[in-house]
Amino acid sequence: MASAVALACVIAVPVAGRNGATAAEAIPNFMPDTTTGWVLDRSNHDDLLPPASGPGPVTFDKAHPYIPNGGGRQPTYRVADLTNPILQPWAKEQMQKANDQVLAGKMPFRARELCWPIGVPGFAIFSAVEPTYFLQKKDEIVLVNYGGPEIRRVRLNVPHSANPKPSWYGESVGHYENGDTLVIDTIGVTTRTFVDNFRTPHTERLHVIERYKLAGDGKAIEISLEVDDPGAFTTKWSARQRWVRAQIPMTETHCNENNEDIFNLYPVPSPKAEKPDF
Amino acid sequence: MQHAFFRAGSLVAGLIFAAVIGGTAAIAGGATQDISGVWSVTKYDPRLQIVGGGALPLNAMGKEAYAKNRAGLRDGSIVDAARKFCVPDGIPRVLASPYPFEIIQAPPGQVTIIYELNHQIRTVAMDKKQKTYEELVPYPFYNGHSVGRWEGDTLVVDTAGFNEKTFLDAAGAPHSDMLTTVERWRKISPTQLENVVTITDPYYYTRPFQVRFVYNQSNVRLEDYVCGEPHRDISKIQGVRIPPQVPADDPTFK
Repeated sequence: MASAVALACVIAVPVAGRNGATAAEAIPNFMPDTTTGWVLDRSNHDDLLPPASGPGPVTFDKAHPYIPNGGGRQPTYRVADLTNPILQPWAKEQMQKANDQVLAGKMPFRARELCWPIGVPGFAIFSAVEPTYFLQKKDEIVLVNYGGPEIRRVRLNVPHSANPKPSWYGESVGHYENGDTLVIDTIGVTTRTFVDNFRTPHTERLHVIERYKLAGDGKAIEISLEVDDPGAFTTKWSARQRWVRAQIPMTETHCNENNEDIFNLYPVPSPKAEKPDF
Repeated sequence: MQHAFFRAGSLVAGLIFAAVIGGTAAIAGGATQDISGVWSVTKYDPRLQIVGGGALPLNAMGKEAYAKNRAGLRDGSIVDAARKFCVPDGIPRVLASPYPFEIIQAPPGQVTIIYELNHQIRTVAMDKKQKTYEELVPYPFYNGHSVGRWEGDTLVVDTAGFNEKTFLDAAGAPHSDMLTTVERWRKISPTQLENVVTITDPYYYTRPFQVRFVYNQSNVRLEDYVCGEPHRDISKIQGVRIPPQVPADDPTFK
């Protein structure tokens, strides 16, 4: 059975290489059928995880442990560990204010909870429960997380444009590697996003490389992230996560339903249009 | 709200199209055609225009509901949630969207339609049997539950199981949870796509009726769409009227 799954997850098709050459190349098939989605492996926690070695992402302050929802214990909001040496002073200062608000009992901003796009690299941890799907076209991959739904697009085997206009998910280009990995290179992410759920800011110089590698006979995706932003961080850093395969069909969901902030708790309102577009 | 009185009737009338959908028969009906790509409606109309002309065939309850919707949308007592909160528009309203949409014929066994407007996603399960009214009622969706099949060069999409939070059009044409739609998508030229939609809702309408949309192939890429933010310029699309915009607050995330 395991080998059948593995076979279903690799397909061989002619693809154009990054240098423009065409060759028959095995590419990983992240959505072999209508029900294959990928959910966070919550046994791993639902944040960016530190790498095996080297600088890593912001995690929680040990004095205020983060306890996620769903574990049978009283969940807590995230308080960031500001001793992480990757943070430049201005970023640390901004995050201190956010920490103070949480410690004062306020609800912190989290994109998924308030129906805002999360950007990149946060997409890897956008939703703790809703699956992500890969719609694989010849020249593009459309990634859909049903927690929004949030949609981002990755053009394959093309270079970045010279000056991409900042957007919620930036400009992503990608390619396949080794028959089992999708590599995504992203720039141009709007500074309105954070890089994680600890409200770690970034600048317009953010550059992220994501690697989505099929693992475990096609039952998991090992995600590795490389993050570079000389405007916000003292050094390049990396992170990891893991998604596991879930057989859940794409089902209509919409985050922005019945989200009026009637108790005035939200740190920012959910998206709403005061005037219609047309 | 469910209309129990009509429930039995809906099985017969509302889901009549479902009866003709059979997995193997559908597969034999026609090979998959390529209608993938980005498409943009040729013109926008806030009101449904019936094929052959004439007014919506509303019954007495439909006329009452329509008048109430129109008055409520005008005076603000009814919120157009699709525009204010950017929840899905429902079928057929989303088919009239002046924003582009993309058809992706993947994964195998599914046609996926992504609308830039409100980042709506429709999935069409190919060669599956439509569920019954009773099976769908516990799971009402804005854009319903869709199954599809190829008939020659035409993708036939049968949709049922709608919630009652949407209008059929921007003017407030009503529908109930007995609504069913059958869309017939086909290329009418190398660069144009047609969708003829048969709309059936015996609760509010005296008979099924049809509307037609035509789309041009587009070379744009779909963009992020967040409610209340500036989006692409759609003012050039015939029929679109842009209301005066209030500059959106930029929420302070910091």
